Order: sequence, then C-alpha cells, then structure tokens
Amino acid sequence: MRVARERSEDTIAWIRLIRLEFARVIRSGGVAAALLLLLGLGVYASWQGSLRVQATEAAMSAAETAYRDQLAYLSSTYPPATEAGEPLYYLAFPAPQPPSRLSALASGRTAVETANLRIRLLALEGQLYEHETLNPRLAAAGHLDLAFVLIALLPLFVIAVTYDMVSGERERGTWRMARLFARPRRLITAKIAARVVLVAGLITSLALISAFSTGIDADGRAGWAVALIALHTLFWFALCLGVAGGRRSSTANAMVLVGVWVALTFLAPAVLSLTNALLHPVPEALELTVRQRQGYHEAWDLPKAATMEGFFEDYPQWSDQTVPEDEFTWAWYYAMNHRGDQAARDASRAYRDVLTQRDEWARRWSLLVPPLATQIALDRLSSADLRTQLAYQEAVRNYHERLKEHFQPFLFSAAPFTQVDWDRVPTFEPAVPAGDASQAGLPAAAALILISVCALLLGVRKT
Amino acid sequence: MDLRNTLLVARRQIGTMREDRYVLFLLGLVVSLGIVSVLGARHHAASEAEQRARYRALVERQWAEQPDRHPHRVIHYGFLVFREEAPLAFFDPGVGAYAGTSLFLEGHRQNAASFGDARHSTGMLRFGRLTPAAVLGLLLPLFVVAAGFASVSGERERGTLPLLLAQGATPGQIMGGKVLGVGALALAAALPIGLVTATFAAVGGESQASVIRLLAVAAGYVAYLTGWVLLTVWVSSRRASSRAALVQLVAIWVALCVAAPRLGASLAATLHPIPSRAQFTAQVEEAQRGVGDSHNPDDPFFRALRDEYLARYEVASVDELPINWGGVVSREGEEVTSRINEEQQQELLAAHRRQDGVLAWFGLLSPYLAARDLSMAAAGTGAEAVEAFRAQAEAHRYDIIQRLNDMHVHEIRYENDRAQRIARQEWTRFPVFQPSPPSLRRALTDRPQSLAALGLWIVVPLAGLGLGRRRLPRVGVDGSRS
Repeated sequence: MRVARERSEDTIAWIRLIRLEFARVIRSGGVAAALLLLLGLGVYASWQGSLRVQATEAAMSAAETAYRDQLAYLSSTYPPATEAGEPLYYLAFPAPQPPSRLSALASGRTAVETANLRIRLLALEGQLYEHETLNPRLAAAGHLDLAFVLIALLPLFVIAVTYDMVSGERERGTWRMARLFARPRRLITAKIAARVVLVAGLITSLALISAFSTGIDADGRAGWAVALIALHTLFWFALCLGVAGGRRSSTANAMVLVGVWVALTFLAPAVLSLTNALLHPVPEALELTVRQRQGYHEAWDLPKAATMEGFFEDYPQWSDQTVPEDEFTWAWYYAMNHRGDQAARDASRAYRDVLTQRDEWARRWSLLVPPLATQIALDRLSSADLRTQLAYQEAVRNYHERLKEHFQPFLFSAAPFTQVDWDRVPTFEPAVPAGDASQAGLPAAAALILISVCALLLGVRKT
Repeated sequence: MDLRNTLLVARRQIGTMREDRYVLFLLGLVVSLGIVSVLGARHHAASEAEQRARYRALVERQWAEQPDRHPHRVIHYGFLVFREEAPLAFFDPGVGAYAGTSLFLEGHRQNAASFGDARHSTGMLRFGRLTPAAVLGLLLPLFVVAAGFASVSGERERGTLPLLLAQGATPGQIMGGKVLGVGALALAAALPIGLVTATFAAVGGESQASVIRLLAVAAGYVAYLTGWVLLTVWVSSRRASSRAALVQLVAIWVALCVAAPRLGASLAATLHPIPSRAQFTAQVEEAQRGVGDSHNPDDPFFRALRDEYLARYEVASVDELPINWGGVVSREGEEVTSRINEEQQQELLAAHRRQDGVLAWFGLLSPYLAARDLSMAAAGTGAEAVEAFRAQAEAHRYDIIQRLNDMHVHEIRYENDRAQRIARQEWTRFPVFQPSPPSLRRALTDRPQSLAALGLWIVVPLAGLGLGRRRLPRVGVDGSRS
C-alpha cells in the first residue's frame, strides 16, 4: 500500500514537473511562433506534395488520352491497305508508372526524373533518357517537401528549445533554486520529456494532417516513414541532451549544436555526393547514345541479310524468314532499330551498373549520417530513389520487348494495320517497388538508434 | 582622428576573435572545405569536359567518315551535340546539373537533351552540392555570424562598452570598427578560396575563364558577404546578450539561405504549372497534325504545295519538274514542323520564364537566392546558358537539315530517287557546331531584381546601423531590448 502510494505520488510529481516545464517552454520567447511557422510550412509542403502527385496522375491519364487520339488520327489518315509498320513508326505507347502516395511527403528524386515515358517501337535506348520539362532554375533553388521540413528544419527547432535548458538556468541563477525541488538528473529528464512531448505533438499533427490531405494508406511503408522521422528526431534530442547537459555556456552550446547541424545536414551529404560522383563516373551515358545511333545507321549501308542475322540471334523464332535485298520492308526496318539497341547493349548495362553502384554506395555511407540515412530510407519507402528509376526503366524495356514481339507477326507478314486488334496490344506493367518496407527502413532505424545511444553516452560521460 | 578610433576598435575585435579557439577552428574548417571543394569540383568538371570532348570528336569523325549516302538518310542519321560547361562551372555549376548534356539533332523532330548530372545522382543531392559557390554562399555567412555575433553584445556583457564610449569612441566609430574587424576575418576566409579558384581558372588551358567574369563573380560575393557582416554587427548591437544575437542570426540564416529559396521555387512551380514531357510531346504532335506530314505524300498541305510547284514550273506532273519533288516535300515539311516545334518550345520556355519571375522577386526576400543568381550569371552557368545552347543547337539542326534537303532537291534526280547517293567528300564540307555562350552583360542586365536585392541587402543593415547608432549605449540598460 505505502509503496504503491509512494509510487503514484512519485508519478504525480513527475507529471507536475513535466507540465511545469512544458508551460515554460511554450511561453519562452519565439517558441510558439517557431512552432506555428513549422506547422504552417509542413502543412504547405504536404498540400504542395499532394498537388504534385495529382499533377503526375493527370499527366499520366493525358498520356493515355494522347495515345488514343493518335491512334484514331493515324487510323483515319492512312489508307486501310497501309502496312502496320508505317503507323507504328509514329505511334507512341504510354508507359506510366503511378506515383507512390508517400512521394507527396518525401518526393526524393521525382522532380528530376520522368516516370511517364511514351515509347515508340523504334530503337529504345534513344528514348529512355530524355529530360523532363523541369525548369532548371527552380530545380537548382532546391526542393521543399514535408520530408525536408522534418529532416532538415525540425532539428533546428529541437536545438532551439534545448540548447539552454540547463545553461540558461545557470546563467540566470535559477538553477540552484530549481535544484531545491528535484535532483538535477530528474530535472533534466523532465525538461527533455516536456520538449519531446511538444515535438512529438508537432510531428503527430503534421503526420495526421498530411495523411488526410494526401490520402496516404496507413500501410507498412507509412508506418516505417513515421518511425524513421521519430527516431531521427530522437537522435537530435539525444545529441542536444549530450551537449546541453554539460557545463558549457548557452552560447557555446548553440554554436556547437548549430555546427553539428550544418555538418550533418549540409556538409556530410555534399562531401559524400561529390565523393560518390568522383568514385563512380558515368561515361557510359554518352557511349551508349553514340553506339546506338551508329549501330542503327550503319545498317542502311550493309546487306540486309547481315542485319537480319543479328536480329535472329535475339529472335530465333523468325530465323526462317528472309527479307528482299533490293526492297524496303518494315520487318527489316525494325530489325535495324533492334540492331541499334544491340550495339548499345553493353554500354547500357554498364551505365545501369554504375548507377546501381552509386545507389548502393550512397545507401551504405548514408547510414553514418542521421539526416541522410533518414532521407535515403524515406526516398526508398516512397519509391522516389535512383533504384526505383532504374526499375522503371527496366519495366519500360520489358514493355518495349512485349510490344515488339506482339507486332513482329504483322511486320513479317506485311499485314495492313487494319488487321491489328488494338484492344489486344500489350499495356504497360509498372515496376513493383523492390524489397518490402522493412528492408528499406530497418538499416536506417538501426543506425539511428546506435548513433543516438552514442550521442547520449557521450553526454552522460561529461556530466 | 575619426578613423583612428575605428581602426583601434577593429584591431581590438580582430584580437578577440583570434583568441577564440572556436572561431579559429571554424576559419580553418571553412577555408579547407573551400579548397577541397575547388579541387573536387575542378576534377569532376575536368573529367566531364574531357569526356564530352572525346565524344564530340568521335561524333564529328563519324559524320565525316560516312559513306556515300542519300541526303535523306543523313537527315535521319542526324548529329549529336554536347553541351559544354562554362570555364567557371567548377566554381558554380549553376543549373547545369539539371539540364541535359547530350542532344540528338535529326530531321522532323526537336529532341530534348538527355543525361544531366542530377539524373545520375542519388537522393543526397537534395541537401546540396559541395561547390566553391556553396561554401561562399552558404557556409561563409554562417562563419561570419559565428565570428561576429558577440562583436558588440560581448563588449556590453563584459561591461567594456561603456569604457570604450568613455574613452572617446563614438557609437558610430565602434560599430564601424566592429564591421571592419568582422569583415577582415570574413576576408581571411574568402580570400584563399578566391585565390585558389582564380589560379585554377587561369590554368584552364583552352577553356580559360575570362578575367572579367572572375571579377564579376568576386564582386558579387564581396557585396553579399559585406551584407552579412553588416547584418551581424547590427543584430549584435541591438541585443543585450550575445546568446540572443546568435539565436536571432542563426534564425535569419536558416530563413534566408535554407527555407526561402525552396519556398520560392515551390511557390513558382505552383503558381505557374508546366506540362510534363509526355504532355508536351503529345501537344507538339497534335499541333502538327493539321499542317501536314512530309512522309505522307497524300497530305492536303503537300497537295496544295504540289499544285503551286506545278503551276510555277508550268508542268503537268511532279516527275517533269526540273528539281526533285521528294526533296521539296521534305524541305517544306521541315520548315513547317520546325516552326511548330519552336512555337511549342517557346511556349514552354515562356512558362519557365514566368516561374523564374516569381523566383526573382523572391530574391528580394532571400539575398542568398539573389547572390546565387548573379553568381551563375557571372560564371556563365545560368539558365540562359542552357537556353542559348538549345536555341543554337536548334538553329544548327535546321541549317544542316535544310542543306541536306537542298542537296536532295538539286543533286538527286526524282526518278529512282532512293538509289542515288551523295559522294562522301561532301560530308566534310558541313559546318561544325560552334556554340557561343551568352555575354556577361546580357546575363547581368537580365537580372534587375537580383542586382536590386543585393543592393538592398547592403543598404538595409547599413541604414539600421546608422539609425541605431544613438541607441547603442542604452541597449540592455533601460530594458529597451533584451
């Protein structure tokens, strides 16, 4: 009985202490304003993100419409006897990859990438890498999404409310008085707890607002995203506790913490990016372009049988076919396009390999830098990373292949396009996100916990 | 007399900062980061440039070594051009990473450039790049803040401010001296980075940067950093405690350098949406539908054209024409499609310019945006350089394609058209693509808002310092400011 009462009294004392601290933090200069500013920025960013996803979806359905319009136009302008190969020269098949809803909050690389290619039956390699219509000046100014607010800006708020929580009282001379009411360790714990509650409230409200405004499913990916943001924020609390729990002055604390913030949020990513680019150059990008063009065009000056021979290597099912040497045929024309892709094949593979190496290198090294680990894991969860783009290109390759195989019978039999049943033409199958959510989130989460513990131990040792 | 006190205060400020181990550590850090960034970015830029030059030579050789070919074949063979970065791109890559580097020029179409740096980067790029421009634009201001936040408030806290005043220094002299002192330290950080940059720019071989451009870049950063020095001393003079000054300055830095540019870009994109690449190419195709397809001889546009040619040459059918009708169709078709393509392209660019307009006005709120904008302009890596490349490549494309079409019209007979060839030595007589970047003057005069913003960035804190001069002794004493 007595023990229980003591315990509950103890709990009440704790709660009272935390509430007292909470009220003090909220009332201290600028905190409420900063809180509102962050909230406003976060709401704006998630609204903006949902607009972006909507725009992407609109662009995708527009590509579908454009395909049907073009098909109708081509069907109405060509005489019915026209060989299928001719309108197929013009027809662009849509390959839209639906955006992940989570990308409204963590947009990653979506701004610089295209997930909505229109593919013609011609050589593929020349069609995969065109730039989006993005305005380079805006892109260079940087990108705002909820992930940026939470990963880059929120830690500054954490720093602002913690850097002087002990040193400020010491400097004002109130620390001694406060120590009359509770032990220092208990006081510090209460102070941190009050601030964690405050920031947790901010994260929760932003998560709820953005989840409702963007219609994100409460699935494993969203769960991991929230967990990572929470762990990342806790890392900053651990660090702030480690630094601000010491005996330095408020000014020194602020300088150290802001310095660490700059180092982790700007310097480390910038240094790692540059190192990654220097370690993994991509000359293959230009190589594959040159090779594909040469592979295709050389064929105009070669005997047609030579081109067909190369084609039959990849499509042995047609090797009993021959094309006339002195006459243009669409079967030969598309085989020649295939020759272009064949010529670029090695360079294209090497190109993808280098980008995969870059992606893996970045993932590995990012684990050392909490904001980066969080950002890269979020990009992965929201299917907005480099690997997803490569998977998309692979899906487009598969689609192109299926289209080719679908139309080859028409090309070899020189069938008129009116014989094509357009309803049975293959449609694009979007890439599925590689790996499950925990595969993306777990390493980052483990790294965040480990680094937080280190930061905390560092601080405890000092006090 | 006046100056002597100012210099004394400046010397005193430099002495204080030199004794501060933290400030010295930061100075070393910023300078070494700046130099590392110059070396790294320079190496990266040089290897990229070397690659482009290699492929450029390869493509030119492949063009010249073509066998005898029909001109229309060559129209489809086309030409690959590579965007070369400005000599100072290693200092400030500007928008380069977000624009494509290789562009395929062919008949009938305007392709978009492919393979920009940003597309080969991982999500890390979101946090920014380590370039000398980023060190000067983002980190140096923070260093100025760290060095100078206590410049006046520290004297106040230590109780030495009244002593200085009592010794006959006026508030104006004190603030002037502090500005000089903090400015000297900023210079100590910026100068080595600037010198290393200048050295590398000077030894650039054939891609040497012009001295004028280097000076323009330097002038921009001097103005920008002067603004930060003035602001730092101003805030420090208004605050009773150094801690409050530091917190306020860091908050200003975050707002101006981190939040505002991104917010501006995001607002610009929301206010003026642009079509995606897929929508854009679909629009272009649609616009071209009404006006003819040069590959389709029964097209109404080309039927009208045929009647016009038959009447002009007073013949009854196209095979009686003294020129090659197939070539005429191709030439006229190219003219029409190019015009429509260009119209659509201009529409897209106009949308980009409207977005830029929003961002340019945002520069008045964020001197960092303005300074970056001017830095890109001076380095020759702004959006106008990318656009100039695109426009010149398009002009080159049109020129080459129409030369080939003219060959088709005059040197290939209509009868048995496809079997004929143009002799291979003709290919070497074609002009080589020689892009010329936009001039510095144009780049700068196109940016009135950024120039004004940078001016304002100096004038506002200067005025604040001037107006706040009288109040200097009273801050923190009568509780007017804390």
